[in-house]
Amino acid sequence: MTSETLPILSLITLSPFIGAVILLLQPERWYLPIRLTALSFSIISFLGSIIATLYYDSELGGFQFNEYIPIVQSLGIGYHLGADGISIVLILLTSFILIAGVFASWTIPFRSKEFYILLLLLVTGVFGVFVSLDLFLFFLFYELAVLPMYLLIGIWGSSTKIVAKGPFARAIMDMGLGSKEYGAMKLTLYLLFGSAFILVAILGLYSFSGLKTFDYIALEGVILPSSVQNWLFLLLYVGFGSLAGVWPIHTWSPDGHAAAPTATSMMHAGVLMKLGAYGIIRLGMGLFPDAAQTLAPMIGTIAVINIVYGALGAMWQRDLKYVVAYSSVSHMGIVMLGAATLNEMGLNGSVLQMFSHGIMTGLLFALVGLIYEKAHSREILQMGGFAKRMPGIATFFAIGALTSLGLPGLSGFVAELLVFLGAWKSSHSWWLIPAVFGAFITAVYALRVLKWIFFGTEKEPEINHKENPNGLKDAIGVEWIAPIILSAVLIVVGLYPKPLLKLMDASVIDLLQRVLK
Amino acid sequence: MFKLLTLEIALTIGIFVIFLLDLFLQRETKKILGYLSFLLLIIVLGISMSKSIYGTAFSGTFVSDSFAVTMKQIFLIATGLAVLGSISHTEKKLKGREGEYYLLLLFSLLGMMITVSSRELLLLLVGFELMSIPLYVLSGFDKENPRSVEGALKIFMFGTVSSALLLLGIGIFFAATGTTSWLAEQPLIGLNDPLGNLALIILLAGFGFKIASFPFQFWVPDTYEGAPTPFVAFLSVAPKIAGFGILFRFFFEALEPLASTWTIYIIWLSALTMIVGNLLALPQRNIKRLLAYSGIAHIGYILLGLASGSKFGLEMSVFYFVAYLFSNMGAFFVAEVVHRATGSDDLDSYSRLYRRSPFLSLAMLVFLLSLGGIPFVIGFWAKLYIFLAAAEAGYIFIVFLGALLTVVALSYYLNIARKMYIEEGIKETSRISIPIDLKISIGISTLAVIVLGLYPKGVVWLAVKAISNFQ
Repeated sequence: MTSETLPILSLITLSPFIGAVILLLQPERWYLPIRLTALSFSIISFLGSIIATLYYDSELGGFQFNEYIPIVQSLGIGYHLGADGISIVLILLTSFILIAGVFASWTIPFRSKEFYILLLLLVTGVFGVFVSLDLFLFFLFYELAVLPMYLLIGIWGSSTKIVAKGPFARAIMDMGLGSKEYGAMKLTLYLLFGSAFILVAILGLYSFSGLKTFDYIALEGVILPSSVQNWLFLLLYVGFGSLAGVWPIHTWSPDGHAAAPTATSMMHAGVLMKLGAYGIIRLGMGLFPDAAQTLAPMIGTIAVINIVYGALGAMWQRDLKYVVAYSSVSHMGIVMLGAATLNEMGLNGSVLQMFSHGIMTGLLFALVGLIYEKAHSREILQMGGFAKRMPGIATFFAIGALTSLGLPGLSGFVAELLVFLGAWKSSHSWWLIPAVFGAFITAVYALRVLKWIFFGTEKEPEINHKENPNGLKDAIGVEWIAPIILSAVLIVVGLYPKPLLKLMDASVIDLLQRVLK
Repeated sequence: MFKLLTLEIALTIGIFVIFLLDLFLQRETKKILGYLSFLLLIIVLGISMSKSIYGTAFSGTFVSDSFAVTMKQIFLIATGLAVLGSISHTEKKLKGREGEYYLLLLFSLLGMMITVSSRELLLLLVGFELMSIPLYVLSGFDKENPRSVEGALKIFMFGTVSSALLLLGIGIFFAATGTTSWLAEQPLIGLNDPLGNLALIILLAGFGFKIASFPFQFWVPDTYEGAPTPFVAFLSVAPKIAGFGILFRFFFEALEPLASTWTIYIIWLSALTMIVGNLLALPQRNIKRLLAYSGIAHIGYILLGLASGSKFGLEMSVFYFVAYLFSNMGAFFVAEVVHRATGSDDLDSYSRLYRRSPFLSLAMLVFLLSLGGIPFVIGFWAKLYIFLAAAEAGYIFIVFLGALLTVVALSYYLNIARKMYIEEGIKETSRISIPIDLKISIGISTLAVIVLGLYPKGVVWLAVKAISNFQ
């Protein structure tokens, strides 16, 4: 079959990289060719991930499409790729967000060549993390996914004016809170801080296992003493948790996401945060099963804090982008909660929530970007009645917001329901209460934002009158593409989630059997 | 016997030829001395590839094994890059004194080559002094600049104290063992020998000055700030690697029985050096001072390799030398170009560098990423391998510390990247023209950092070969 003849995972992973190299050779002034190059290599990845989804044998489960080329044999480093159901779902998510992201940044005003190069490099890293079965390779791709973010936010990001109050106001202002440089630096340092933990955990595993290999499959067979497992698992949890937005190391996420340009926010909230959760599930639970079982109560408890804290944070914000960013923190709590339930329903829900939240938050950030382009403001209270001026954007925003609060018929509902049922069936059924409370607050802020911006009395931000005399308009041309793709996925998965669930089910059961034994 | 000394003899002959030429050449034609020195280094590097230079001489006190030869090759490459990067600097600023400049560099190189080959403390001391004294002179070569003189005085003071300490250490070592050489296989010092332990500590302090480990790092920033930048590129790399060369040979051959003691000292030195270097680099506003402190931090990382006390650790340290050599020298060359264009070493002169010279800013970015240990450039592999060696030796907490400090380091490296690529404000848009010699040396360094980063296997092979003669 194709898995033997075509290196499909390499194709998916490396096609954006080749695209970036080709972009490097083009002059800056080629407006359209730059975008078309980026788009076509994204489409190759997209088609690759569709093929992988179709050809993945979900009855069989396990890692398929394996590719192996030794790199440094004396140290046990190899180019080992493979994907199981969980990875396939996330690859699919990434390629959807990639296509949408390329369209969402179509109108980027300056230095667009570099923007697309960095975006494609970042995506190479993300795909690489999802498919690598060698811890070393995993780490390499992980760093590649994290670093371009700094430049992406620093150069193309946007700053907000924040007026600090209280005794530390001066100090806070001096730090440049709210500026894009601040957001970029904070995000990068947090994530690199996390990657230091991950590196130590990987090296620790390497030396404790005594196998002299970084190969995931080989290391899976090693059962370390439980105290070692606990320590290494904690290191991984802190490391990946800082990327997954786990409370209390999530604070980079609102600042970073708010400062980032549209496609970067989509990529980051939509995919990169999932990378953290994926790391905890794949490496943490897969390699340290005993520790996962021991520490599951802690992870679940922190996850419900995440849900409630993120939701309350989102309710408090008056900046549209901060609202979406805090809601991501809350939704990542649901993902982690599903993982901590350690049962089939919960973990299936967790992976599905990764997919659903990825698409949903991508959609919301794309729309926030559009609204900002039209209205030149993100202040919720300065906007109102936009539904008449931009009915299309209003519709899509409503779809995103309703997915966020878990309306049946949209993908968020299926995922959240599975996680909540899983939490109820787990040994800590009290988790359900704060989780449902968090979902309730989500409904409050999502509907409130919808009401304030799109309905109610017509208002227009003051700045807008000067800069944009023609007034507010609906999206035009390419701007439609990203919202259409993403909301279509939300609806399709919401109405018929079975294929996706079937895809990951066998892998989820495999993983759980390892943990529970 | 003299076959083993071919490298040193060839270098010495070359030095004398350049010396004589310097006497007879006109002021205007002296710039060919730089090219001649470079040619000489290439020739010596070529000779070092020969297989017939291995063995021991002078009843075993001079040894030319694969470790010595590899280290010499590394010195030759570092000096070659430094000579190449100095050509336009000497032509512009040191008119008429080119001969002295290159001769001093070459003499220092000769000293290094002798030290890494010696198995005898007195021979080692001679080589050590031959290496150090030219460095004192070169540090103060910019006579008009009071900072340069100050820096020279500092390195001179610290250097002489370190030589005195070395002598003291050698004396105590002699008292403890009755010999100044370590030729035989049998252990010289027992584990509980108090004199032996004292000698160990004092010698470690003496070498510590040279490699600028904590707490002997005070001369580094001031000296770097004042000295001519292409020379600083050399000073920041070659003598430190030489210092490590001595440490490796002496600790692994002579003091092997005391390994359980000195690994503890070195692990502490390493941790403190990493902390001090990285934290003090944070507030720096001058590129040369920043690179000085970051260099100190790198010394801490290399010490981690030595502290792991295994062959694997040493191999990974040799790998680190190569990574550090190209990244650090490259960064200093960029600093030289920017200094010449803007007249300042301030970090603010890097604002919008990518508008003024895309090549220069890209090269600097590559060097900074390599120094910071980011994947796909050689610095990443260096850090990773060192951490791997330390983790295998069981120092998981130090690895943890080192990994966290890498993040600190990245914050100041990224700060420069931010200035180059992101910061707005300064309107200066005049393009920077790069002298051809610096263009070549920066190009070579960039290429090395990227190519070796994509294909680290070659350097690993070199490192394994270098360490193969240690037990």
